[in-house]
Amino acid sequence: MAAADSKVSTMAAEGEIAASFANVRANLPGAGWMQPLRAEALARVVRDGLPHKRLESWKYTDFRGKFVGGLATAAGVEHSGERLFDRLKCHRVDINGGKTLSVPAAASCQDGLEILDLAQALAMPSLWLRQWLQPGELVMENLNLAFANGGVLIRVGRGVKVDRPVVLRSLLSEAGTAAHTRAVVALEEGAELTLIELDDGCVEQQSLSTAVTSFVLEPGARLGHLRVSAREGAHLVMRQDFVELERDASFEGVIMSSGAALARQQMHARLAGSGASFDLACAYAAGDSQHTDYTLEVVHEAAHTTSRILAKGVASGSGRGVVQGKVVVRPEAQKSDSHQMSRALLLSAGAEIDQKPELEIFADDVKCGHGATIGSIDSNQMFYLQSRGIPEQEARGMLVSAFMGEIAQRIPDAYRDEVEHWLACRMKGLAL
Amino acid sequence: MSFLEIKDLHATVGGKHILNGLTLSLGEGEVHAIMGPNGSGKSTLSYVLAGRAGYDVTSGSVMFRGQNLVEMKAEERAAAGVFLAMQYPVEIPGVTTINFLRTALNEQAKARGEPEIDAVTFLKRFKAEREKLSMNDEMVKRAVNFGFSGGEKKRNEVLQMAMLKPRLAVLDETDSGLDIDALKLVAGGVNALRAPDRSFLVITHYQRLLDHIVPDRVHVLAGGRIVKSGGPELAHELEARGYDEIVKAA
Repeated sequence: MAAADSKVSTMAAEGEIAASFANVRANLPGAGWMQPLRAEALARVVRDGLPHKRLESWKYTDFRGKFVGGLATAAGVEHSGERLFDRLKCHRVDINGGKTLSVPAAASCQDGLEILDLAQALAMPSLWLRQWLQPGELVMENLNLAFANGGVLIRVGRGVKVDRPVVLRSLLSEAGTAAHTRAVVALEEGAELTLIELDDGCVEQQSLSTAVTSFVLEPGARLGHLRVSAREGAHLVMRQDFVELERDASFEGVIMSSGAALARQQMHARLAGSGASFDLACAYAAGDSQHTDYTLEVVHEAAHTTSRILAKGVASGSGRGVVQGKVVVRPEAQKSDSHQMSRALLLSAGAEIDQKPELEIFADDVKCGHGATIGSIDSNQMFYLQSRGIPEQEARGMLVSAFMGEIAQRIPDAYRDEVEHWLACRMKGLAL
Repeated sequence: MSFLEIKDLHATVGGKHILNGLTLSLGEGEVHAIMGPNGSGKSTLSYVLAGRAGYDVTSGSVMFRGQNLVEMKAEERAAAGVFLAMQYPVEIPGVTTINFLRTALNEQAKARGEPEIDAVTFLKRFKAEREKLSMNDEMVKRAVNFGFSGGEKKRNEVLQMAMLKPRLAVLDETDSGLDIDALKLVAGGVNALRAPDRSFLVITHYQRLLDHIVPDRVHVLAGGRIVKSGGPELAHELEARGYDEIVKAA
């Protein structure tokens, strides 16, 4: 009986998505070439079904179980009030409800930096763009492709060093809606860019956002990346990133996540050229009834490639943190060097942390390290602070902030303070 | 009203009886030394006074300037003027000494209903105090005690004491792990803080610290009780004859 029920509901969730696609497809942006890609992506979603915990990579995160469905397309409602990076000198892209509201005018960008609204780019017969918009293997990627109605295309020309960061702010503050965005960030040979992404907005009923970003770094290109996943309340946030690194290209990223009912950041990085390096630091603070998931996969395909993953997080109340880090070293990747470390603090008896490092090594002359720790707040440190007059709550806050500080340290000075302030506010709300 | 009055104090740690009827009286502005063999309860006494969780007072009382310390949390005792210089100062990676001290000062002020210290005044005082202890700027910019040598940690304890200006300072084996130069520096820092309204309990295993910080009274702690009290000469007697003989005779 239970099996039959689950079958019925399976049909219901994916069937509803298919019906929703039929309703909105005519309004989705894109030239003729885009339509078959969307249809194929949708067909794969229906064929594969939404991810659930019986799948290995979704073992700790039951998307299907949490997804309520019946979501309308977000309209992009007006927002007032201060947001992160408001005062930062930058090239700013604003996305609201999945739609791109504004991109910097071409004239305001330095030579060699191109920022296009994805909806406009899709209207062009672009062969170049098409390769990044193919149906893939992952359900979330396909769901996103079928429905994507906004996003951005960023290109930095050969040897161009972009002087100001590009900031992509994506707001979703309408309850019961869905928004799907897609971004392609391409750095030509030797180009340099700093990219900041902010996902924010608070909803009281479930809203779903999916976002897929492809980072393409040609030889010697360097990308500095920061993402603040700050959605609050009943949000389901599904992020999927693909990073492609050619020879001597370097990706240095920081991701911070706190506030959403469910936020998953899934990142695949391919170190395809020798000398490529990938360095990611991620932080999470999962408060009561929040679930944060980092699912990372780094594939060393070439010799002399380097990867570093550092994850640090705290969970309190019934909060849950998941870190899955998989490193694959292909036979060609001799002399590659990878390390991953995941550390977590459990702040309450009801919180849960799941850390799963995985290594698949097919080369014999490599360095490949990993480590994981889970602990609670150190009682010696607590007593030391309290014995100097710092009250218990304050002392716990200081120690948790200190623990997370290692990640925040990596953020450039120009905007580290405001991100740290944001994180401190979130941690205050954790009911330590 | 006496300054510090410990009466028939019994305390357990992990269910084990460590203090067994300790009675001690310390007047305002006085310096008393507590000496005793290993395992006599010296560190337990210091933790019980500072209010560490897991050190349970089962009977007796500790009255400090009219307040029963036993009923107060560690942070409340600190705000009331109790300071413990620890035998093993704790490393706190990620928290800078300067931020830690400023937070501590302001939280104590808040608890006492006093105004917070402004940044400029704080930094001035901080600079003056750390220079007295020959601590360079680099040291205090680092995380609290992180990567400090034993001597640096002890100096940092004295620096905190100087900044927090407690009424009662408990020094738990502050001399342990110090070479003679560091010992002089730390003792000098403590002596500079001696004042008519500040009292010290100097807990030590050896008499050598008491050559530098000369106490008004010396107490011998054994089996969780004070078994003998006397003037500064008692420390020399202990050094000459050893604990065994004195404790047996008591």
